[in-house]
Amino acid sequence: LAALPRDRPALSFPAEKHLVLLRDGRTLIGFLRSIDQFANLVLHQTVERIHVGKKYGDIPRGIFVVRGENVVLLGEIDLEKESDTPLQQVSIEEILEEQRVELQAKQESEKLKVQALKERGLSVPRADTLDEY
Amino acid sequence: QSLEDCPLDEDEDAFQALGEEDEDIDQFNDDTFGAGAVDDDWQEAHERLAELEDKGVPSRDPDGPVGNDGDVLGDSEDALAERLTRLVIDSDLEDPAIMQAVHTSGHSQPGALNSSIWDSSAVLRRIRGPLLAQEMPSVSVLDYALPQRPPQAREEERDPSERALPRRSSSPIIGSPPVRAVPIGTPPKQAAIPNFNQQVPPRFPPLRGVRDASRGVTVSLPSSQILCPKPVHIRATMQQRYPTPYGERMSPNQLCNVPNSSLLGHPFPHSVSPVLTHLQRAQLLGGAQALSSHQAGRMSPSQFARVSGLVGSPLPSVNPKLLQGRVGQMMPPAGGFRAFFGAPPAPPPSQLPHPPGPGSHLQNLRLVPSLSRPLPCSRCPPLTLPALPRPQVFRPDTTHLHPQHRRLLHQRQQQNRSQHRSLNGSGGDRGGHRSSHQEQIRKDPYANLMLQREKDWVSKIQMMQLQSTDPYLDDYYYQNYFQKLEKLAAAEEVHGDGPKKERTKLITPQVAKLEHTYKPVQFEGSLGKLTVSSVNNPRKMIDAVVTSRSEDDETKEKQVRDKRRQTLVTIEKTYSLLLDVEDYERRYLLSLEGERPALMGERKQKICDMYDNLRGKAPGQDRLSDDHFMQIMCIRKGKRLVARILPFLAPEQAADVLMATARNLPFLIKKDSQDEVLPCLLRPFSHVLYHLPLGTVTSLVQQLTNLPQSAAAPTNPHLTAVLQNKFGLSLLYLVLSRGEELQSSDTNTELIQDNQWTELMLMATRELLRIPQGVLAKPVSIPSNLISLFSRYVDQQKLNLLETKL
Repeated sequence: LAALPRDRPALSFPAEKHLVLLRDGRTLIGFLRSIDQFANLVLHQTVERIHVGKKYGDIPRGIFVVRGENVVLLGEIDLEKESDTPLQQVSIEEILEEQRVELQAKQESEKLKVQALKERGLSVPRADTLDEY
Repeated sequence: QSLEDCPLDEDEDAFQALGEEDEDIDQFNDDTFGAGAVDDDWQEAHERLAELEDKGVPSRDPDGPVGNDGDVLGDSEDALAERLTRLVIDSDLEDPAIMQAVHTSGHSQPGALNSSIWDSSAVLRRIRGPLLAQEMPSVSVLDYALPQRPPQAREEERDPSERALPRRSSSPIIGSPPVRAVPIGTPPKQAAIPNFNQQVPPRFPPLRGVRDASRGVTVSLPSSQILCPKPVHIRATMQQRYPTPYGERMSPNQLCNVPNSSLLGHPFPHSVSPVLTHLQRAQLLGGAQALSSHQAGRMSPSQFARVSGLVGSPLPSVNPKLLQGRVGQMMPPAGGFRAFFGAPPAPPPSQLPHPPGPGSHLQNLRLVPSLSRPLPCSRCPPLTLPALPRPQVFRPDTTHLHPQHRRLLHQRQQQNRSQHRSLNGSGGDRGGHRSSHQEQIRKDPYANLMLQREKDWVSKIQMMQLQSTDPYLDDYYYQNYFQKLEKLAAAEEVHGDGPKKERTKLITPQVAKLEHTYKPVQFEGSLGKLTVSSVNNPRKMIDAVVTSRSEDDETKEKQVRDKRRQTLVTIEKTYSLLLDVEDYERRYLLSLEGERPALMGERKQKICDMYDNLRGKAPGQDRLSDDHFMQIMCIRKGKRLVARILPFLAPEQAADVLMATARNLPFLIKKDSQDEVLPCLLRPFSHVLYHLPLGTVTSLVQQLTNLPQSAAAPTNPHLTAVLQNKFGLSLLYLVLSRGEELQSSDTNTELIQDNQWTELMLMATRELLRIPQGVLAKPVSIPSNLISLFSRYVDQQKLNLLETKL
């Protein structure tokens, strides 16, 4: 917050948009309003951004209070650079649809894999016995 | 009731009035403790009140009826006050607050009229009751920070009670449930207010004001402190205490009635700066909240962020009450009302002139029109004042947190600052961009929710976690990474003249290493030592005994396994030595001059140890057996270890290692087929080679080619294997190249060597020719002088063939 010298102090006015990546893979973008020593965050006017391929969609979520242990990383968004991305923004429904499709495809390929392994007599470790990440 | 009969006639003698007051007081007593009270059991009530003080729980005392009575009583007291004030000589003090203050001060005059009233034990008791009740209604962070104060408070009461107005006859009601513990994440308040931890006004009036129900708040202050210790009774509903000449503006008296208003009893601080205690500050800030209906329970340091600036600010002696009665405003450090409505650092200073005297407060009062709102106002206090240069936007949707206006102030200050900055052109384009940006989204009311202090606090915690006595030990990768970056940056800078990008480096706090010798706890007088197990002194839970196995019982496999394990252990030990040795350079730089020889000696010793480990310790024994070394080399990690050790070894030792490797190369190759780690040895080997004399080189080649076999043998499995392996071939090439180098550079080579060498060369070339191209391994690198080497020994035709093969 203060350790790294910057032109502007953190969490000051005008507020900067921050991007937070959570452990469950969600990406939140919002104005970081408050932080504490556990990295609990208070995000204002948060938007959950879902990425599928080259497309992304934003779901407005409001105010988020995130428990620190679930935060993977937090970074400031450069507002100038925010606009020039190769990604294409789509509507919420579309992105959710895309996400569903992607998930389905993944599941099917996973199934095939498991099947193939089974045929060869190998066992796949169950997800719950594995460490999550 | 006799109260109502209390004459309001101005002409009446004050003493007589006072006499009648006695009756009133008796009546008050009755109401409180006697039959008039709802709760007949005065003991119970008293105990409750005492409890209040102890625990800080505001009890809902008999509210209704007593309250009503209180109002009535208040009226009569009003009358009394009015009468008394007329006794005051100083007629300048028109201000109700002043009058009230004078009122209180008048009491302290010796022989004052009031002595009869105020000194009476009944009065005292009555005063103390409310005091007790009011004092610690809520628990706050400071509670656990500061020791309990009640006994002291009571003492204080005795002193100021003489001066205090008897506000209430009934026990005060602090309406809302106490504000309890602050959320864990908030920084402690006393961190930023170091001056104030002397005596302990521990508790705060509830920050959530319940305007209607709350009765009074007592503030006890440390008497030794600059500001008077003053229990301040604040009436809740004394709306009509003084006829307010100021219209709808809340008179300070009204402010008195506001719970948590920071009116302090003493009007004239003894010309010392009103060093505010926590309580006062809380009241100040609480007062701010009082006006807004949104009383967040949370006490946070942000409340004090501003107030801490008030430390040492000499308020005009005129009317601190008034000053502090500015509900919702903070006392600026600049003193006076100057920065009242603005952020202290960048206040609109000219707005409120420093009140020179009593008269000025009127003016100031007038400047507070919109500040003070009638209590039921449910909006946060509007901070827009005509005096302000920049009218503050009123935030309509603040539903939550507490010192909103403080934040606004801070935000305004931030705006100011950042505007200044942008105007000053810091950052050039960026600044300009930002200022326009700012203009666009000027009104972000949620910015700066965290005060700088809070941010600093969190940063401080994070930095504390980074404290380390030995950063290279604790955070090796980070250090290395940044060193690399710096080197890169330095290199770049050397090359290009471009603007050097500022690399912001986090400067971690460095803590001096302190030796803590742990001494187990000892109690005096105890027989023997206590077995207290702690983190530093853990108790032995398991008796783990090492039993060595007998050799006879083991099977062969076990033996093999054990041997392998031993080798692994050796490798690990040697690795530790190696890491230490590699670290010596850094330590050398950091150490003092005197220590350096010792360091070098240590280093040398360690290197020797490493070598011994490698080759197998047995100094008496002739180092004929490569067994140990081979064992190590069979293990992947061992090979890497050797590669890392080689640079540190003395040339002879290194050559020895090389020879051993060459000697056993086919074996190693076979073992390495899965790992393929041998090539990692190439580079250190080549380094070693460059220092080898010809003789060694020759014998190396010999080893490689394993020539003592009969030259007539058609095949040389050793050499073949070598040639077929990447590493082997590369190594061979390297050695040959070295030999050639030596030969070509130094013409005075010995003939004997020459013979051997020639023979070897012939052999090598023959082999090379013989081997089909496909089988030949792909070497890592082909030294350029091989052709010239071969050209000495073979004819052109073969040379061409060789060339194609290479």
